[in-house]
Amino acid sequence: MTAALAARNLGHAYGDVVALHGLDLEVPPGRIGLVGANGAGKTTLIKILLGILDPTVGNVEVLGADPAQDLITVRSRIGYMPEGECLPKDQTAADFISYAAELAGVPPRESRQRASDILTLVGLHEERFRYLGDFSTGMKQRAMLAQAIVHDPEMVFLDEPTAGLDPAGREEMLELISRLGEFGINALVSSHVLPDIEQTCDWVVMLDGGQVLRNGPLTGLTETGVVEVEVVDGIELLAAELQRMGVEIEEHGELLTITSSPGDPFLAARDALATTGLALRRLGSRSTTLEDIFLGEGTFDE
Amino acid sequence: MSDRTGVVFDLGYKPYEGERLGRSGAIRAMVKDGLRRSFGIRRKARKKIYPWSMVGLALLPAIVFVGLAFAIGTLAPDAESPWGGHPQYIGLVGTIIILFVASAAPNLLIPDREDGVLAVYSSRPMTAWDYILGRVGALAGVASAFFLIGNLIMYIGFAALDDDGFASALIGNLDDLAKVLLTMAAYVVGYGAPALLVSTYAKRVGPAAGTYLAIVFLSAPFAEMFRALDVPGSRYGTLISVLQHPEVVRNWVFGESQSDTPLIAVGFEPWVSAVIIAVIGVGTMYLMARRYRREL
Repeated sequence: MTAALAARNLGHAYGDVVALHGLDLEVPPGRIGLVGANGAGKTTLIKILLGILDPTVGNVEVLGADPAQDLITVRSRIGYMPEGECLPKDQTAADFISYAAELAGVPPRESRQRASDILTLVGLHEERFRYLGDFSTGMKQRAMLAQAIVHDPEMVFLDEPTAGLDPAGREEMLELISRLGEFGINALVSSHVLPDIEQTCDWVVMLDGGQVLRNGPLTGLTETGVVEVEVVDGIELLAAELQRMGVEIEEHGELLTITSSPGDPFLAARDALATTGLALRRLGSRSTTLEDIFLGEGTFDE
Repeated sequence: MSDRTGVVFDLGYKPYEGERLGRSGAIRAMVKDGLRRSFGIRRKARKKIYPWSMVGLALLPAIVFVGLAFAIGTLAPDAESPWGGHPQYIGLVGTIIILFVASAAPNLLIPDREDGVLAVYSSRPMTAWDYILGRVGALAGVASAFFLIGNLIMYIGFAALDDDGFASALIGNLDDLAKVLLTMAAYVVGYGAPALLVSTYAKRVGPAAGTYLAIVFLSAPFAEMFRALDVPGSRYGTLISVLQHPEVVRNWVFGESQSDTPLIAVGFEPWVSAVIIAVIGVGTMYLMARRYRREL
């Protein structure tokens, strides 16, 4: 399967300031989270993927095509929702979304129909004849998403799609982003809000100081490999039994964590519970959050 | 009878599998959008007032000229019209074109940057050149329309009043139409390009319009000043007259007197103005490309 995005030894510098350095990536189709602190290189990477900036070194591929070499091919297959506003104040939503489709080559009649359909999809059907300058922040964000997908792109870049939204608006936007997969649209979601990425994406790319910190499926990233056991009474008995079986554990009050085991840690816990006859309250894998990983507090293994 | 009063259908998302028109479709869409924007079409009412006032002002002299020709022809068939024809009309409409493009050019370029709409263009199958062609095409279209419609009214109106008959007058005056088209190119480029150039770098519509008008209208007095200076090389200073280059070309094409034009008075040939207009046009496109390559 062709990678949705790929970068090889990618670097970009603004004069003496290095924004990206030696980036190597291969990302499968799906919903991809791009996370990183301010200045991590997220926006620079998106601009390179859009073909606005040329890499200083290395190259990228979007859906198998290099934007530096084949700009029109790449741009005919993508959509983009920028972080800031991108809506003309003096046009109605219907007119502008229809125009956005025409700019992608969709004929005028079909553009008007698609604009109407997409505005309905993002919940702006009633407001479609209102001027965009009169829209609230939430309505603007929806209109920006509408312009990004109205021409049916194969991949869409969403830069901080929940910025400025209230909790209800944020949830609705995340719901729409989660549905992009159903529509057959791959998405690169750039965000500071790590829970948003956890909620909507199945792959994550973490940037830090212009380099890749983590790149992998979200489930793998948040799995710690640590098993937690909690019993009703007699945690010391369980700890002793596990240690006798050669399992490495840590005790945290009434909670016991298995950090290393000769075999499957779940089987070890089951056998120890059977031997001691203790009543189980909870047995499960400990997962961490992207925030923990990003802040270096998680127990993530490379 | 059914007890259902309404059914909500979730139509979901429909992929688009129809025709795509590519870059040419995008440029056509931009030109159409530019025409609408310039005339305030599908915008709030206040956006329509200025451009349509200019349209009225541009057409009025043409209608008056034809009306006067009719009146003079009826009342005093042997008298010459004191108002003249195309060159005089172009002299009037030239000022209106300046006032129109002073508003149209900034409105075509600046809101795209100010409102962040360039980000949308950067995710469409087009290049910075396509964007420039779309916007320049729109301004050239509206300025040409301004210029042509009044001249066509006069061309057809004068032919209708001609004693030799309508059809023969239309054919006999075809050279006038060719001269109008040549002059139109000089006016559209000569006045449109500086407006685009100012709008390429200005941050707000109002100051851009003011700056453009100041450049155009103050260039003539400065040219007069250079003409009056008795310093070696000062004659070259008269070339800054952005206002007068299209007028020199008009007089050259229609064979009108050039005596009171500073550029001609200091010894320049009329073709110099045509070359300067071409240089302004090409230079504007180059600088626009440099500016927009950074964002598209």
